[in-house]
Parts: sequence; C-alpha cells; structure tokens
Amino acid sequence: MKTAIDSARKAGRRQLIYELISGGTGLVLALFMWGHVILVGSILTGERGFDWMATMLEDYYIAQPTVAAIFTIFIVHAVLAARKIPAQLEERRRMIDLAKGLKQSGRERVPSRRDNSPFVPHLESMLWIWQVRTGMIILVLGSFHLILIGVDIFTPLFGEYAGIESATTLSRVAAGLWLPYAILLLCVEFHASVGLYRLVVKWGAGILPHRRVLHRIEQVIFWLVLGLGSLTLLVLAGWVQPPLEFMISEVSP
Amino acid sequence: MTDEVRRLKFEIFRFNPEDPESEPHIDTFEIDERPYMTLYMALSEIRETQDAGLQFDFACRSAICGSCGMLVNGRPALGCRTLTADLPEIVRLHPLPAFKLIGDLSVDTGTWFREMAERTEAWIHEQQPFDPAATEERMSDDIAAAIYEGDRCIECGCCVASCGVANVSPEFLAGAGLNRVARFMMDPRDSRSDEEWYDVVASSEGVFGCVGMMACADVCPKELPLLEVYAYLRRRTLGTKFVSD
Repeated sequence: MKTAIDSARKAGRRQLIYELISGGTGLVLALFMWGHVILVGSILTGERGFDWMATMLEDYYIAQPTVAAIFTIFIVHAVLAARKIPAQLEERRRMIDLAKGLKQSGRERVPSRRDNSPFVPHLESMLWIWQVRTGMIILVLGSFHLILIGVDIFTPLFGEYAGIESATTLSRVAAGLWLPYAILLLCVEFHASVGLYRLVVKWGAGILPHRRVLHRIEQVIFWLVLGLGSLTLLVLAGWVQPPLEFMISEVSP
Repeated sequence: MTDEVRRLKFEIFRFNPEDPESEPHIDTFEIDERPYMTLYMALSEIRETQDAGLQFDFACRSAICGSCGMLVNGRPALGCRTLTADLPEIVRLHPLPAFKLIGDLSVDTGTWFREMAERTEAWIHEQQPFDPAATEERMSDDIAAAIYEGDRCIECGCCVASCGVANVSPEFLAGAGLNRVARFMMDPRDSRSDEEWYDVVASSEGVFGCVGMMACADVCPKELPLLEVYAYLRRRTLGTKFVSD
C-alpha cells in the first residue's frame, strides 16, 4: 500500500505545483498590468514625462529584464492555466449552454417574485467562459505586443536608439496600432480583474470578506484601470491632449 | 402580488430511454396558478389532469430528501422548494444534467452519489479497537458545528448539475463530493492522514479540478458554504508534508 500512497502523493504534489504556478503567475501578471497602466500613463504628463520614465527604467536596467521575465511568465501562465479548458468543442458548447442558462435564469421581470427568491442571475460561470475567450485573444495580441516592445527596447530598429521613445510610440499607435491595443486593453483588464477575484475566492473564501464584497471591489478596480488605460490610449493615439502636461512644463527651464 | 390569476405554461422535456419509440421532445401544459403553488403542486396537477405518464421524482415535499432536483429555466432547483410565484409565466423544465436519465424529469442521482461515496470511502476510518467501557472523546464546538454544516447536504445533485466541470468530466467530485471529503478530513474521529487523501483531494478529480465557476454555491438549496469548503481543502493541501515531500 505504501507505493500506492507514494505515487498518489507524487501526483498530488505535481497537481498542487501546477495550481500554485498557474495562480501565482496570474497574480504576478495582474499586479504587473496595474503597474504597467500607471507607468504608460506617464504620457498623460506629455511626451517629456513619458520619455523621462522610459529612459529612467531603461538606464537602470529595470525595463529590459522585466520584458524578458514577463514574457516567460506570460507563456507559463498560458500553458498552465489552459490545462483546465476542455479540449473538445462539444464539451465547451455544453459549458457555455450551462453558463448562459444560469445567467439568464432570474433575469425575467416577475412582479410576484419574492425578495429572497433564489432565482437571481448567476454570473461567474459566464465570466469564466469570457476569461477563456479573452485569454485566447491576449495570447495572440499580447505576444505581438511583447515582441514589438522587446524589439523596441533591445534593438535600435524603431526610432533613434535601442529603447522606447515617445515619438515612435505615438506614431505607431496613431498609425493604427490603437485598434489592437484597445482590444488588448479591454481583454487584459477584464481577464486580470476577474481572474484575481476568482483566485482570491478559491484560496481565501471563509477567511476573507464575502465574495459579493470582493466582486464589487473587483468591478471598481476594473472600471478605474480601464478608464485610466483608455485615456492613456487616447493620448497615445493623438486624439486627446495630455491632460497633465502642466505638471512638468512649469518645472522645466 | 396581483389579484389576477396567472396562466402558467410549462414546457417540459419528455424522453423515455427505455422505450425505443421515444424521441426527446418538449411537451407544453397550461394550468392556473394558485397561491403558494410549488413546482411539486403544479407537476402533480399536470399529472392528475393532463398526462398521467409524466415522470418526475418527489418524496418528502420539504427539501430534505433531495429527490426533486430539476433544471428550472436553466437553473438547478428543488421542485418542492420552488414557488411558481418566483418564476415567469413560461416555465421550462428539464432533467438535471450530469446524471443518468430515467425518464422525463427523473434522473438517477443515486448511482453517482454511491460511486462518489465508495471512491472517497465516505465513512469514519477508525484504527483503534472499539472499547465499550471507555468514555467518549470530546470534540470542540467549532469542529462539531463545521461537521454538522457539511452533513446538511441532502445529495439532491443541484451542485453537480450546475458544475461546468462535472458536466464534462464524470469523475470530478464536484460540490457534494468535495463537501463530503472535507467533512471527514475535519473529523478528529477519522484516523486517515492528509496523505491518504491526496489522490482524491489534490487532483483534477478533486479540488484542483475546480475552475471556480461558483454556480454550485449559488444553486445549493441548503445554502451550504461550498466555496469555503473548497478554500479549506486548498489551504489544507499547503499545510502538510505533502509540499516538502
């Protein structure tokens, strides 16, 4: 019996490690994305603020290893998180039908329905389906973005030197990159906030605030970050003037 | 509540797997709503007055036997506990998915639960020989309350039917199974070590198979704290020798 328990323990430990890595990489990526939005948000202070931030992160060799590390974590997360997606289309269809039913049930207007009726729409199943969908989109668009930024940081191919420059970034986004970036922004913020909410409930239910509270916090963070990210993207595309430009123009000689 | 009596339209899934002539289809029945009408009352009326062949399961009518689970407008619920007043005028009824169909709305939850109980050996494992003269060992109130909470499960199968994973992988323990496992892991009378639980808990059949759709906790008619149970099981896999070998 010893060997049976041993092999079960080994298999169990491997599963635990997968679970910890997929959750841990998700956590790191979600937190990174919030920081990322704030750093790119330096464009709100104008081109000089953006260039100062980019050069600072590159001169101190913060940006270069971060790009490499995030790309690695990104791939590891994609591989491990995807292990739970059913392989067969038929199975996915079944999950989607189930999730749709649970979301619709309770949506109808019923005047006689009691306040404590159990028939309230259930959203989290459908949110999981959307997490899979956004994850697929992020895998494609995120890889493109990471490769592009990697090339920009490590080679002088774009702009005048090896590194991110506001001039090339602005012209790239204005030339049409705003569209994939807008899709990527929406998908990433959705995927990250819902994923974080799910991760916290999975490991912390019972010792943390109720999940309704956590869901509300998740929604507030989602809209805040999406708002900041959208404004940043509008400035990058050249459609909106940097609203915080006064902050550094007065200091400059 | 409005004074007008609603005319309820029931769209009910019909299929008898025993009958080679039978084809899966939807039959529609109409009845007048009565005050405090449950789905049990509505289905009984349909069977008495319109179709004596309609198959559905009921026993206790008070949400304790767990036999009347069905899909009500896409949501697993107990027929006896569901008031028609909570539902729109069109009520779609299907048998619970993830279980073997007996006929119409009747499914075989028993085989699933028996298989789960045998696989998890859901009974107290006691190594010590029984000593009738010894005094009973004491148990703390907290543990007793937690075990009692887990034992409130009536095995209706609503959590299993609402679970995306259980619907595509039959070996997944789902809410009811994981709740049962946690109940015995908490029990100080059970002598099984954490290591003996690993193959069921820390696997894709166990808590690591859960993707976190959370429907189980929302549909559970007994409102069991299923998400807390899963988080407990997850945290427990961390706090053992299991991690360090």
